[in-house]
Amino acid sequence: MTAVEHAPATSRGWFNSKVFAKLAIRLGAFAAFAGIMIYFALTARGFTTTYNMINVVEQSTILGFLAFAMTVVFIGTGTDVQKGGIDLSIAANAGLCAAVYAVMMREGYGNYVAIPAAIGTGMVIGFFNGLAVVTLKIMPLLGTLAVMNIAAGVELTLTENTVVPVQSDLMTVLAFGRFLGISTLAWCLIIGSVLLVWAIHYSKIGLRLYAVGGHIEAARAAGINTGRYVYGAYIFSGFMAGVASILIVSRLSSSTPGTGLMLLPILAAALLGTVFSRRFIPTIGGTLLAALFIGFLANGFQLLGISSYWVSGVQGALILLVVTVTSFAKKH
Amino acid sequence: MHQKTKISRRSTVKAIALATTMLAVSFPAMAQDKPLEGKTVGVTVIGTDHHWDLMAYRGQVDRLKELGAEVIALDAGRNDQTQISQIQTLIAQKPDAILEQLGNLDVLNPWLQRIRQADIPLFTVDTSTPHAINNTTSNNYSIGAELALQMVNDMGGKGKVAVFNGFYSVPVCKIRYDQLKYVLQSFPEIEIIEPELRDVIPNTVQQAYSDVTDILTQYGEDSDLKSVWACWDVPMIGATQAIEAAGRKDVMTYGVDGSPEYVEMVATEGSPAGAVAAQQPYEIGKRAADNVAAYLAGEEVPPFTFVPAVLITKENAAETAEDFLPKKD
Repeated sequence: MTAVEHAPATSRGWFNSKVFAKLAIRLGAFAAFAGIMIYFALTARGFTTTYNMINVVEQSTILGFLAFAMTVVFIGTGTDVQKGGIDLSIAANAGLCAAVYAVMMREGYGNYVAIPAAIGTGMVIGFFNGLAVVTLKIMPLLGTLAVMNIAAGVELTLTENTVVPVQSDLMTVLAFGRFLGISTLAWCLIIGSVLLVWAIHYSKIGLRLYAVGGHIEAARAAGINTGRYVYGAYIFSGFMAGVASILIVSRLSSSTPGTGLMLLPILAAALLGTVFSRRFIPTIGGTLLAALFIGFLANGFQLLGISSYWVSGVQGALILLVVTVTSFAKKH
Repeated sequence: MHQKTKISRRSTVKAIALATTMLAVSFPAMAQDKPLEGKTVGVTVIGTDHHWDLMAYRGQVDRLKELGAEVIALDAGRNDQTQISQIQTLIAQKPDAILEQLGNLDVLNPWLQRIRQADIPLFTVDTSTPHAINNTTSNNYSIGAELALQMVNDMGGKGKVAVFNGFYSVPVCKIRYDQLKYVLQSFPEIEIIEPELRDVIPNTVQQAYSDVTDILTQYGEDSDLKSVWACWDVPMIGATQAIEAAGRKDVMTYGVDGSPEYVEMVATEGSPAGAVAAQQPYEIGKRAADNVAAYLAGEEVPPFTFVPAVLITKENAAETAEDFLPKKD
């Protein structure tokens, strides 16, 4: 609303149609989400039960955490696919962290050593991304792709592509524990989201990060050490990969090959999330909604007895739709 | 003499097939036309990207539908996290029974336990777990031993063997591998090359091709390398191609499952594919569905149902391979 009031009078007509288009898309996105939810609620048996709802939140936690990481990278580097940043290594990084954690637990180090080691590994990989993108000025698509391969390679070396089982009380609590009727994983998503919304949208660091990603020259002129923020975004992304890896291991009771496959759903959630924001920018809340949306979609399909083969197809179609609509809205 | 053995082999195969059919026909669940009418059954599989997996999956789904059940069929596309989420939602759907096929037991066991805690009868296909009422499978103990003995025979009781062992966490592979090791205990002149090779999913064939090419370079014609073994046959497709490409005549491959491409290789004169223990995955899937019907009809179901497998070798391929070759439309 404030944006409209401050708009220069000469371009009011053009601005209004642009604002209108954006508003329509955003409302359309919310309406589509709500519509699909209502449809599932009316037709899918058991969809609206509290138990099922909490299940979906729980199932979305790992995707949510990794999509948050991608969102932070988008915020700090801009969403333009060619000029902006991206962290293609995130899923492989989570796989590597899970492997580090599982292998260290197998070798007899306790949680107190293995968890920091896993998260530390994630941050080191994040640092490599920063090194490639900021210091060596490699295109993020290529730089993080290379780092993705490094992470995947080290994971294979550690696990020899096998399943490494982990048993610990902490894992049982994370995977099957409940507090106030809500499962531990669901709590993780709730608390993680609240903390991140505060850090990204209300803290000084978060606002500066937006400045860096929104207009890097302006941010630099304003005296922000932009390189440090981009580095920070990538290292944070690695940190989140480490945290998510602990949740992955707890859910699967082991580290398994194939965590890298999560990259596409992560990108889908982070990109889809932009539709839920006022200016089509990446936000934590938007990404949270998108991750839940993807979770509800798979859940609703299963409850309706629609083949699971459709889920990924629909996911792909959604990404295409979102990217088309938002880029169209940004240009016009 | 030769003719006689041929006939006796063929009749053995026929007898097994006949026995299987009779068993299926005489199965009590058949008494009623659609014994699963009004019942919902969940089927969860880790993936269907290989011939065996797809056939067993289809066998279950087709048979369950034939018996009148409403089927919730879930293919996790080789993604453990997806399978866990699907199982979690499936539990909330409270079906009358759940069928689970393959996957990593370390990952699955806590969740299979939760299925039982929710009082949903659990049946498995090719997955041995204490939480299942019945596991329908091939007799992997005999498959593993028979294939190992065939390999030992072809090797003349001595030499080196390269072994793929990437899926020891998959129960059926563990059994077959352990059986191989057990058989080899009696043949001290046969040596498994260390380190063992790792078969992978996906890119199974390509990876096996390059791994075996490396092994062939490392172990030349005079090295006494005679065999390559895996607990299934998809990597053996790549291994066989690699041996052919290297022009080696001294190395043979051995696998399990009966993927049409590999059976064709075994049946081909001069191909380095030595033998394959061919299973009947579609039949296994159907029998698992029959077990669900029997159990829900209140009948006793044994903990294991074995569906016979056929050892196809270079010598007997002419009689045994036919049913397992690629279907030509």
